[in-house]
Amino acid sequence: MIRLFTYVYMLFLYAPIAIITLFSFHSSASLSFPFEGFSTQWYEALFSSSDFMTALTNSAIVAAGSTVLTTLLGTFSALALMRMKGRVKSVFAFMNFAPIALPGLFLGIALVIFFSLIGLPRSLLTVVIGHTLFTFPFFVESVRSRLEYFDLSFEEAARDLGATPLKAFWLVTLPIIGPTIAGAAILAVALSMDEFLITVFVTGSDTTLPLMILSMMRRAVSPTINAASVFMLVVTIAIIVIAGLVMTLRRRRLELERAETAE
Amino acid sequence: MTNSIELTGISKSYGGLTALGKVDLTVKRNEILTLLGPSGCGKTTLMRIIAGFEEPTTGKVVIDGKDSTSLPPEQRPVNMVFQKYALFPHLDVFDNVAFGLRLKKKPKDEIKREVTKALELVQLEGFKNRWISELSGGQAQRVALARALVNRPAVLLLDEPLAALDLKIRHHMLNEIKRIHEETSTTFVYVTHDQDEAMILSDRVVLLNKGGIEQIGGPQEMYWSPRTLFAAKFFGDTNIVNGTYGLADTSNGFVDLPFGRYAHTAKNSLGAGPVNVSIRPETIGLEPALGATLADGAFAGKVKDTSFIGNRVIYRVAVAGGTIDLKCQQLPTPGSHTLAPGSDVALTCKPDSFVVIPA
Repeated sequence: MIRLFTYVYMLFLYAPIAIITLFSFHSSASLSFPFEGFSTQWYEALFSSSDFMTALTNSAIVAAGSTVLTTLLGTFSALALMRMKGRVKSVFAFMNFAPIALPGLFLGIALVIFFSLIGLPRSLLTVVIGHTLFTFPFFVESVRSRLEYFDLSFEEAARDLGATPLKAFWLVTLPIIGPTIAGAAILAVALSMDEFLITVFVTGSDTTLPLMILSMMRRAVSPTINAASVFMLVVTIAIIVIAGLVMTLRRRRLELERAETAE
Repeated sequence: MTNSIELTGISKSYGGLTALGKVDLTVKRNEILTLLGPSGCGKTTLMRIIAGFEEPTTGKVVIDGKDSTSLPPEQRPVNMVFQKYALFPHLDVFDNVAFGLRLKKKPKDEIKREVTKALELVQLEGFKNRWISELSGGQAQRVALARALVNRPAVLLLDEPLAALDLKIRHHMLNEIKRIHEETSTTFVYVTHDQDEAMILSDRVVLLNKGGIEQIGGPQEMYWSPRTLFAAKFFGDTNIVNGTYGLADTSNGFVDLPFGRYAHTAKNSLGAGPVNVSIRPETIGLEPALGATLADGAFAGKVKDTSFIGNRVIYRVAVAGGTIDLKCQQLPTPGSHTLAPGSDVALTCKPDSFVVIPA
């Protein structure tokens, strides 16, 4: 009985994705059944469109820029959180977490007003700033819970053995929290690629991928939209898969090194 | 230079909270010195000040003749075995132990030699390539010891190293630590709240209470000659009896207790007045009362309860008309009967073993 429920649930979850993917390969411009045949024409149209390529590049730039900023700021926050105690820590942790609950609408409007106040014209830069603010609480929250288990005596032990605070961070803290940071960074990339609401408010004339898909829907409903959506899906999955592969390959390489130096 | 560490006027306060009052302490070269006390007594704070993880509010820390008060931990010739070992999980046993030597940029073959020697010292020769997560508690602790000792520190600090271990392993590790101390002739400063560990291991014990030193001495001295009530009650079991101290003449004193007067001359020049007398249970003689008359110097008591522990029997005896309970420890002989509650007994005290503490 439970198994049946699980199948129905999976169907409900994946059916829309399956149908969208199917119709992205449709040989005709129709988005409804009957299915007439396979064709890659919509993908070809997409990649030959300079608008699409520009939007893709912009999304990549914004994702990269905001992730770097979020990772830097987020790592420092996490390190600070590790050293805080009691009430100060709870307050700080809550303040880090609260923006997640904030409607994107508010952040978008607030940023627009802020940028015009300080005279910063809306552009990809403002989008990067917006995305950094947006992904930051997610980054810190995802790192914080794993860091609860980080014992500060690791750093003390390193210093006791002769490491300066910087060396202790580099040789001990960073390798231990590295995987957690990396995972949170990947989350930030995925969130940024997908971000739409704040971007709509703070962008100037530059388009990112989600924005472009929306405008495509406004203009003409055709399987090009499907192709663009499937493309985004594939990119997001690819990021996660590549990250996973890198981790596994790294671990395997380390194990080989161990085996070689062992006697 | 006979002193490894000299602490003068050390105190530590956090805001309004005083963790350590003014403390003066010298640690002799090559001794095992234990900082002992209940939680909150300041022993951990004192140890961290020696290691350099806390800066004292006042006072000076001199290590091996050099003023180290403002030196960061990485520059002090001190190494620490942490309570939870703090072994680096991303490195194997060899790399953990080699960590300090690598920071000092020692040549590779020297590192290999020293690490191997250190692992042999703690009897973990085959464990070089194990991951930290694969070690048992006792093994992890030995790796932590090796990691600290391989750097040949002037002082080794051990922060309650046996706290996380099973009881059975604890005794074994205590002996291991003693052996390692003899083989390396390094000064050990050991921190614990367990009096048994302190007694078994130490050359000298520093008893701390509420941020101050109660008493310093060897295990025997701490047990038989405590100078404060806290010290008397801390080690083993004892009876504390309220009484009065008086002087018969300039060189002879006596103690008035509810169950008799005893000749006892207090060691430090104590004046007459109310006192607390510590009487160890094993110094009280106990015999079944045969008839109404008691032997000379004996006083009457009634057994309230009996605890047969195996190698000893502990009687709780009501004396002085039932106003005081005295714990008496007897060695049972095989086949002898232990006295049942309600039995009348005759007790004798050895006044030489009294410890008289001003009340």
